[in-house]
Amino acid sequence: MSERITIQKIPLEEMTITPGSACQGCGPALASRLTFKALGPNCIRHGVPSCPDSSTLTPRGGAVFEGGGAALTGTSRALKVLGKEDVIAVGFFGDGGTYDIGFQGLSAAAERNENILVVCKDNEAYMNTGNQRSGATPLYARTTTTPIGPKGRGKPRPKKNIPMIFAAHGVPYVATASVAFPADLIAKVLYAKKTKGFRMIIINSPCPTGWRYDPGDTIKVARLAVQTGMWALYEVVDGQKFKLNYRPKELRPVGECLSAQGRFRHVTEAETAEIQKMATDNWARLLKLDDAGEILL
Amino acid sequence: MVFEVMVGNKACATGAKLCRVQVATAFPVTPQTTITEYLAEFVANGELDCEFVNVEGELSTQVVVQAASRVGVRTFVCCSGPGQLYMHHPMHGTASARLPVVMATVHRSNRGMQPDHTDTMSQMWTGWIMLECANNQEVLDTSIMAYKIAEDKRVRLPLDFAYDGYILSYTAEPVEVPDQEMVDEFLPPYEPVTTNLPEHYDIEAVRRGMSAPRRGGGAPGARRDRQAGWRIAHETILNAKEVIKEVNEDFGKMFGRKYGNGLVEEYRCEDAEAVIVAMGTIASTAKAAIDKLWAEGKPVGLVKLKCFLPFVSEEFQRIGKNVPALGMIDRNICMGWGGMVFSGIRNSLYDVEDRPKVLQFHAGMSGKEVMVADIMKVGEKTLKVARGGKVEPLVEWV
Repeated sequence: MSERITIQKIPLEEMTITPGSACQGCGPALASRLTFKALGPNCIRHGVPSCPDSSTLTPRGGAVFEGGGAALTGTSRALKVLGKEDVIAVGFFGDGGTYDIGFQGLSAAAERNENILVVCKDNEAYMNTGNQRSGATPLYARTTTTPIGPKGRGKPRPKKNIPMIFAAHGVPYVATASVAFPADLIAKVLYAKKTKGFRMIIINSPCPTGWRYDPGDTIKVARLAVQTGMWALYEVVDGQKFKLNYRPKELRPVGECLSAQGRFRHVTEAETAEIQKMATDNWARLLKLDDAGEILL
Repeated sequence: MVFEVMVGNKACATGAKLCRVQVATAFPVTPQTTITEYLAEFVANGELDCEFVNVEGELSTQVVVQAASRVGVRTFVCCSGPGQLYMHHPMHGTASARLPVVMATVHRSNRGMQPDHTDTMSQMWTGWIMLECANNQEVLDTSIMAYKIAEDKRVRLPLDFAYDGYILSYTAEPVEVPDQEMVDEFLPPYEPVTTNLPEHYDIEAVRRGMSAPRRGGGAPGARRDRQAGWRIAHETILNAKEVIKEVNEDFGKMFGRKYGNGLVEEYRCEDAEAVIVAMGTIASTAKAAIDKLWAEGKPVGLVKLKCFLPFVSEEFQRIGKNVPALGMIDRNICMGWGGMVFSGIRNSLYDVEDRPKVLQFHAGMSGKEVMVADIMKVGEKTLKVARGGKVEPLVEWV
C-alpha cells in the first residue's frame, strides 16, 4: 500500500513543458503534471491518441490507439534485454485508450503481468474528438452521441468498473486517484514507481469543455465526485489487499456533484435518486472491503 | 554447417534464431502457427536468448516489435493471412518510424485457408520492403539477408519476407543450416541509429526547442513540407534495391548461395524468345515446366521475382528489351484492377521503345494447385504472342 504523504512533500521540480496546448482548467493536464513530478525523468512515456494534456520532458513513444498495452510491453521487454530495468515504461492514456479500444491489449498485458505502469487520465468521454460517450461515461451524462431529446436521456448505462476489472487480473497494483487529491495521487505514483509488474492508476480528471462547468471549478468538481462517492479513492495490491484512502463519516448527496456539471442538467429527481442509489450501494460494498482489508469474492 | 530435413516454418524459426533476435512475438494462426511453437521451444531449451512475448493478437505483435525496436533491439514477428490484415494499422507506423523490424508472412488467402498472395498484397501501401521465397532453403537464407538489408544505415525500413503456406510451411525439404559463427560474422549485433532511452534524451535541448514560439500549429514539422515524409520514404525504399543486390552478393560470397541478383532470378532466359514471370512456389514449379518446354524446342525463359517491393522496374525494362513477350502469373488480384505484378510490369515497360507484349495469367488463387502442365500452357501462349500470333482471351485464369 502507498505511504501517505503531505502536500508539502510533492516534488517541486516540474516535468511538464509549458505552455501546453490543453484547454483552461484541463483535469488531464493536471494529472500529467502531478504524475510525472513523481515519476521523474527516468522513464519512457507512451501515448495513444488522446487530448493533448501536458507534454513532459521524457522520451516518448507512440502507438496506434488500440496498441497501448502492447507498446508498453515491447518497451519493457526491450529494456529487460538491454539490462535497463530501472527505466519505467509508462503509458499515459485516456479513458478511450484504457476502457474501450485499448482494453484488449491492456487486459492481455495485465494477464502476462508485464512490468509496466499504466496511468489513465479518465475524463469520462472521448474529449479529443469533441465529447462522445465512452465506456467511462457515467449514467445519464449527456455527450454528443448520447444527446437529450424526447427519446434520449443521456448515457443509458453506468460507467464500466475498470479498476476492479483490472484488480481481478490479480496484478501487483491497481489504484484510483483524483486531481483534487494531489498528495494521495503522488503517493500512489511513488508506490507504483517502486513496484514491479503490472501497475495501473486511474485518475478522475474533470474536463470543463465536456462536463460543462466553469474552467475555474475543476478541483471543486473533482473533489465533489470523491466526496459524493461517485468516484472512490482506493488501492488494491495483488488483486487482494484493499484500502479506501478517503473515508468520510458521511457522503455528500450526489445531487451536489451532478448540479455542478452541465452534462447532468437534464437529470430528473428520479434519475438523481437512481444515481444516488448506485453510489450508496457501491460505497457500502467498498466499506465492507475496507473493513476486511481485502477483496471479498 | 549441417543439413537438416525441415519444414518451411522450422527454416523460418531457425533463421530468426541464427540472427539472435532479442525480442520476438507472434500469435498463432494457421499456417504460421508452428513458427510460434519452434521459437517457444528454442527459448525454453536455452538455444535462443530472447524475450519471446505471447500476446493476444497480431495487432499487438506488430506494436510490441515496433516499441521494442524504438528502444533499440533486434526484433522478429511472423503472421499469416487474416492475422496480417489485423495488424495492418500499426504496420504503417513501423515503416514511417523507420524501424528495421523483420517479419515473416506465411501466405494464406484473404478468402479461405489455402495460400495466395492477397495477404501481403493488401499491405503494399504500408511502406515495407517485401521479399518472396520459393523454397525452404530460401526462407532460411532470406531471413538472414532480411536483417542485413533492413538494418543497413541507408535503408532502415521494416522488411516482410513471405512464402506460401502449406506448400512450404508444412512441407519438409533438405535445408543447409549455416554455422552460427558465420552468421554472426555476416550479421553483427544490431546498432540502432535512434533510441528512446532516457540516457540519450537531452532535457535541456528539448526545453530550448519547445520554448521557442512555433508557427503554423503545434505539430513538429508543421512549418516544413508535410509531404516530405512520404517523398523521403518513397525514395528510401527505391534506393534499397542497391542494398538488396549488395547483400545478396555478400551472402553468396559467405555462404555459397545466392538468389539471382537479389531482386530477380533469371532461369534459362538466354536465347529465350519469350519469358514468363512468377513469384513464390509457382516459380519453383515453373522451373520444371521451362525445362520441358526447352526439351520440346520451345525457347521460353523464367523470371522468378524475389523482390516485390520496391518494384524492380529497371529489371523488367532490361529483360523486356530482349524478348517480344512476357507472361505474368499473378497469384493475387486486386478486384477491379487486376494482378498487381502484371500492372507493375506493364507500367515499367511503357517507356521502353519496342516494348514487348505483356500477358496476364491468374493462377493459384485460394490455393488452387498449379501444375507443371498449367505453366507449360502459359509458356506456349506467351511464345505464340512473341512470334506474332494472335491469342484470345488476353487475360486468362489458369
